[in-house]
This record gives sequence, C-alpha cells and structure tokens, in this order.
Amino acid sequence: MSLPADQGTEARAGTAVAVTGVGLVTPAGADEHSFWEGLCSGRSTARRIEELAGLPVDFACPVDGIDLDAAVGGRSVWRMARFVKLALVAARQAVADAGLDPARWDGARVGVVLGVGVGGVSVLVDNAAKLAASGPDAVSPLLVPMMIPNAAAGEVAIALKAGGPSLAPATACASGATAVAVARDLLLGGSCDVVVAGGAESVLTPLVVTAFARMGALSTRTGEPAAASRPFAADRDGFVIGEGAAMLVLEREEGVRARGGRTRALLTGAGSSTDAHHPTAPAPDGHGAQRAVRAALDQAGWAPGDVDHINAHGTSTPLNDAMETTLISRLFPHRPPVTAPKGVTGHTLAAAGAIEAVATVLTLERSAVPPIANLDALPDAFRLDCVTKEPRHQRVETALSHSFGFGGHNVALAFQRA
Amino acid sequence: MKTIHPKITEVLTGTFKVPAHEVLPESTMDSLEMDSLAVAEFAVIIKETLGVDADSEKLYKDATLADISAYIDAAVGSAAAEATVPVSNTR
Repeated sequence: MSLPADQGTEARAGTAVAVTGVGLVTPAGADEHSFWEGLCSGRSTARRIEELAGLPVDFACPVDGIDLDAAVGGRSVWRMARFVKLALVAARQAVADAGLDPARWDGARVGVVLGVGVGGVSVLVDNAAKLAASGPDAVSPLLVPMMIPNAAAGEVAIALKAGGPSLAPATACASGATAVAVARDLLLGGSCDVVVAGGAESVLTPLVVTAFARMGALSTRTGEPAAASRPFAADRDGFVIGEGAAMLVLEREEGVRARGGRTRALLTGAGSSTDAHHPTAPAPDGHGAQRAVRAALDQAGWAPGDVDHINAHGTSTPLNDAMETTLISRLFPHRPPVTAPKGVTGHTLAAAGAIEAVATVLTLERSAVPPIANLDALPDAFRLDCVTKEPRHQRVETALSHSFGFGGHNVALAFQRA
Repeated sequence: MKTIHPKITEVLTGTFKVPAHEVLPESTMDSLEMDSLAVAEFAVIIKETLGVDADSEKLYKDATLADISAYIDAAVGSAAAEATVPVSNTR
C-alpha cells in the first residue's frame, strides 16, 4: 500500500469513476472467471488456425469454446460481423455484473464507447471476391453496416437501449483503453450517468494476418506457436495476433452509492498522448508514452512511487518491449511488479486495452498478479520485476495499465482498489 | 395446398434465425420481423443459391411465403427449361 487512505480519497475527489461491472470474451476464457484462471495459468492460447494454413504465419489466439450465435441470440445475429458479436456478449456480461437492467434504466443517460481498430474486414474481403466473380448483384446489401468499425457501438446501444452518446474510438491497439478514458470524460463532464466502454476486434483472416506478417510485426515461431508470444523475453520476435472483446461499466461514485451498487475498482486517472514520431514504431525513449503515464498519475494524485503494479502493454515485439522497459525503469525505480497478459491472450488489438483494464481490476480485487507466459529470461539490460511462472500473491492498492497503438497513440489508465 | 420452397425455409431459419414454427405459407417478411435490409439480403442469397433474380422490394417485401415460393418455383422451372440455372449450395 502506497497511499494513506485519506490522501487517496482526497486526491481522487471529483476525478475518480467507479468500475461497477466487467465482461469479456477472450482466447483465455469467455467469462471473467475462466479468463482469470487462464491468465493465472501462464499458458499461451496460441494455436495453428486451419484458415491460415500455408501462410507465412499460420497461428493465432482465437476465442474458442463459446457458441457466439447462441450467446447473442435473437434474430439479429445474421447482420453482425464477429467483432460485433464478441462486443455484444461482453457488454451484456458487464451490465449484468453491474446489477443494472437495460429494461429499467434511463437509456438517454447511458453511453457506449467501443474501440475497434479494423472492423468487419472479412465481410469486406468476402464481398470483394463476390463482386469480382459474380458482379454487383452478388454484393450483400449488408456489407456497409456490417463492416464499419462503429457497428459494434451501434449494435450494443440497440441491445442495451442506450440512447446517450456512442462512439467508436480508433487508436489501433490502444482503442480499448481510449474507450475507457473517453468514458471517464463523459461521466465527469456530466453527459452520462452510466457508460459501457471497452474494445473488440476479430481479424484472424488470411489477409490481415498476412499483412501484419508482411510488415514484420508478428512472431514467426511457426514451429512452436504456444511459445511465440513472450513479452519482455530476450528472444521475443514479434506479437501473436488474437481476437476478443472486453467491456466495463463505469459510473460516478455518487451514482453508485445512490443506487446501492457495488464498486469493483476505481478508475482514478486516464492519460493520453501521441508520439508524433512514426506511423508504427514507438519513439524509442518512451517519452511520448511517459506523457500519458504522467497525465494519468497527475489525475489520480499519485507520485510514481505510489504505483504498486503495472499491467504492461508488453506485446512481445522487440521495439515495444524495449521502449516500455526503458519507460518503466526510468519512471518507477522502486520496481513495482509487472505483468503482460499478451503472453497468454496474444495481442487482441483494439480489445487489448479493455481486456487488460479488466485484468488490472481483477488483480486489485484478488490481490494477485498473473505471470507473463513464456518469460524465462529477461535481457540483462531489462531492470523490471516481471512476474513469471506463477501468480504473485500480494496486496495491490494502485495499478497502471499501459496501451500503445500504431499511429503513436498512448494511453495509461490508473486504477485503485475499491 | 400451398407449400413453401425448402430453400426459403432453410434460409429463414438458418441465416435469419426465424423460429421454424413461424415459417408458414401465410407469413409475410414483415410478420417475421424481416426489415428491408434483411429482405434485400434474402434476395441476394436466393439469387446466389437458386439463380432467381428479383426486385426484393417489389416481389418479396409484402408477399406471403406462399407467393414467394410460387414465384421462385416458376422462375426455377422456366430457367431449368432453358438449362441455364446455376444451382449451387455454397452458402
């Protein structure tokens, strides 16, 4: 514990919002409990994908073990691309977890912020092939509404009868975290009483996986997929692409108190910045990312030494993990324990920031930091206290979750134990 | 007795998740909660699988399933007579 209770309360007065519900559908599990179990196992979920056979990278971290059409239910499932289904299932879980009922709330005061990086690209690819093969009559009239990245925000709003503001921030791999940051602004600015926020992505298609492979972003450890995602390891060679969704229900603290709700954690700060450096490579010194972290700390009223734990972006790419190590070791010389869920889940792109926000909430609640998969040895230059092999059981009062995206987008979320 | 073309039943229950017990000769697309985009998509699938062209707004939107069946049967029959129907079942 780093903060005296009264200091923490005073510092966050008027700036903290409560996390009252979480939901997720991930490669590590399609609900909160199986996700946490999967994360704590420290085992990668990467496996070969039939559809990718013969391509330079033929493995990924898919969502298995859930019948998404059945989970979505109803008659509208036909018009939803897979990323929308993932988002909708996660959103319903989160709202139920918060003890809220869309049939009874004032929907005009409910917002939806759902970050998506790419959207329904497989619908686009399928229809491009149909246009080429059979002409315009073969093109689905649903192509546009199914592929647009904001389809998830729109469908979730319909399902939840949420008539307040809805947005689909696209900050690539930081989108899910950006969504949470925007939700905080909507709540503190008074535009909403409840915001359902998170991220979703599903692009495990031959074209997109090959495109990431062609730019050299993916691990090429094809002989050993389960060992490929190894954040912070000396022999890491790229990320493993995953799919998934996570949603959080956020409310102002007084609103939660008034309705007798339960606060699972507090979002005490959310900082955003941009590298303004390169389309895909992070600025190597981490100063751009540091501005986001500093902003989150300032909002939370914390000094760097107050941070008990860091849920890193940790993608397993050489560049990200080197930059993030530089950043963490410079700003947090007290060496708070670090984890990186992408070792288990792969990199779920726009969903990652939201999935990791939920992981951070669970760490605060359960007093345990999950291990980083496949991390056997850190490079000597890395001076981080990375959690490996087993979950580390310790009380965690304050935690940061980092997310960085192509385009130079940086987001840091500060969470505090409720 | 009015019947429903099996492809109509298959598409409505399989793709559009319409409960089988609602797929009746007298049902209309509207009564099955099929909006204009859904009906347009239905028309694309019928074209793709049976080779039957139709203006969905004119021919499917307000018709009963029995009427649509009759239209499809006639179209398939006349096309079959010309032996030009690309019948596939890839969807």
